[in-house]
Order: sequence, then C-alpha cells, then structure tokens
Amino acid sequence: MESRKEIIVDGSHKLFDRKGTFHKEFPSDYRQVRFFSMLIAQKAPPEIREINLLEQQISELIKNAVRHGNKKDPSKHVRVWASFSEHHAHVIVEDEGAGFQNLESWNEFNRRRNQCFREHNYEELEKYFSYRTSESEDNDGGNALFAALEYWDGGVVFNEKRNTVAVYKHFDNTRRPGISREE
Amino acid sequence: MDIKLRRYNTIYIIDISGDMDLYNAHRLKDVVAKLIAKGVSELVINLEKVDYLDSSGVGALIHVFTQVKQRELQMRITHVHGSVEKVIRLTKLMDYFPIVDSVKDALYELSGKGQQ
Repeated sequence: MESRKEIIVDGSHKLFDRKGTFHKEFPSDYRQVRFFSMLIAQKAPPEIREINLLEQQISELIKNAVRHGNKKDPSKHVRVWASFSEHHAHVIVEDEGAGFQNLESWNEFNRRRNQCFREHNYEELEKYFSYRTSESEDNDGGNALFAALEYWDGGVVFNEKRNTVAVYKHFDNTRRPGISREE
Repeated sequence: MDIKLRRYNTIYIIDISGDMDLYNAHRLKDVVAKLIAKGVSELVINLEKVDYLDSSGVGALIHVFTQVKQRELQMRITHVHGSVEKVIRLTKLMDYFPIVDSVKDALYELSGKGQQ
C-alpha cells in the first residue's frame, strides 16, 4: 500500500478548498524561507508541531516555491493558505512559476526508489537518493518530496498548472482511510 | 550551525550543533571533504546537539556517506534523536545510514575495525 503513494494532479481536489484557512503572502526571499515557515507554523497548536517537524515540512514547501517555482525572483510572491487544529494540518502553497513540469518523472523516480526499499536493494537505491534535474544546485537535498509524501498522510496534490500544492495531515488516533476533511 | 572537530587516535569526531538546514548544511560537506583530503579514514558525525534537520541536511549526510563509501572509509552517525530522527525516518534512510546510539559506541566499533 505504501508504494502506491504518489503526487496527484487535480486542481478540483477538495484539498484546494480554502474555506476556513488563513492567508499569508511572502516575497521570494530565499534567506527568509525559514522565517516565513515559522510565521505559518506558529499558528498551529503545540500538540501538532512535534517540536519543529511541522515547521520543517512547511519550510520544504515554501523553499520549493521560492527556489524552483519563482526561481528566487524577488518580484514574484509565494501565497500560503493554511488551517490547523489539534487533529489536522492543511496547507496550500502557490507560486508564480511555470509549474512542476517533471511531476510524472518524479513519481516514476519515487516508485523505483520504493521498489529498492521493498527489495532491500541498497546498491540500486543509491541511484534514487536524490531527485535531480538540470536545474538542481549542489545544495538542493533532492529528497524533500519523498519525506513530504510520508508526512502529509492526507495527500500531496498539485493543480493542473502545477504551481500550487495542497497538503493535509491527520493528527488524531482514529485515522480515517484516504483523504478526509473535518466537517 | 556550529561544527567542532575532536580527535580520538585516528578517528575524527565532528560535533555539529544548531540547525542543519538549507542555509548551512553544505558546510558539513566541505569539512568532510577536507578531512578526506587530509587522509582521515574514520569519521564520527555527532548529531547530539542538532535541533533541526531539513532536506538539505539529509542531502549533506547522504553526500558525505556516499563519499566515504566510495573511498572504502569508515563512518558512523550518532545521537540521532527527536525531530532529526523523525525527518530521517520520513526519508526511510534510518537503515541505510550507519547510525549508532553514542559517540562511545561509534569509537568502539571503529576502533575494533581498525584492529582487524
């Protein structure tokens, strides 16, 4: 079941419903990615922050938007919508870039990576540690989305333009299957 | 992020403290590259005082371990804890990295191998 996790493209997905969310907008300032992420995460109740794990996962989304989406262009903005409770985190991040055009290639890369884990094939796995493209920089970890798919257990969904990602995580102990929203 | 070096016989211990994030994780790569260039063959990366790790930090750990493996050198990562451990678990690399509980355990393992 784990290997079936993948990034979805569906702009009409219910994770794009912004009802009940708060909104923030930031310039594409790479130096302030963590500060912006803290501003979002500090709105979450302490029960779901897991020290700084929630902030770290939000930071990866904002970093991708600033770095890969807006190419660090200071005239472009990143828009974030979020809602939190003791039982959930829901975040939408939109940039002004051309969109994540390698999404299918990334899903295929991730499938192969998961296959290596299933087969305990660590030699082959070394090819799949880091997803890189011609635009990757040395300091890009190339592994943020692998962790995102594990962390955001309610889904990682892009819109058709692929410049907006919506994610959801449940924090209750009565986890429901698939993606669900609080009424 | 602060990096300090200690030495135990031929083993170099890299004590990292603070945030290993997008802004400074690359410094670990630089330090390890210099140690390898100096001929150091046994390394311990101590994460006891690392409070925050992101994908760039995980990327730096992958990079240095790949460099070490390619040269058939030895390395251990110690004190993986808290949210740092959770981030590594999310990438499913806990079993791949040479993680041991403590610096003492790392020195014991590396010293043992050195005597073979």
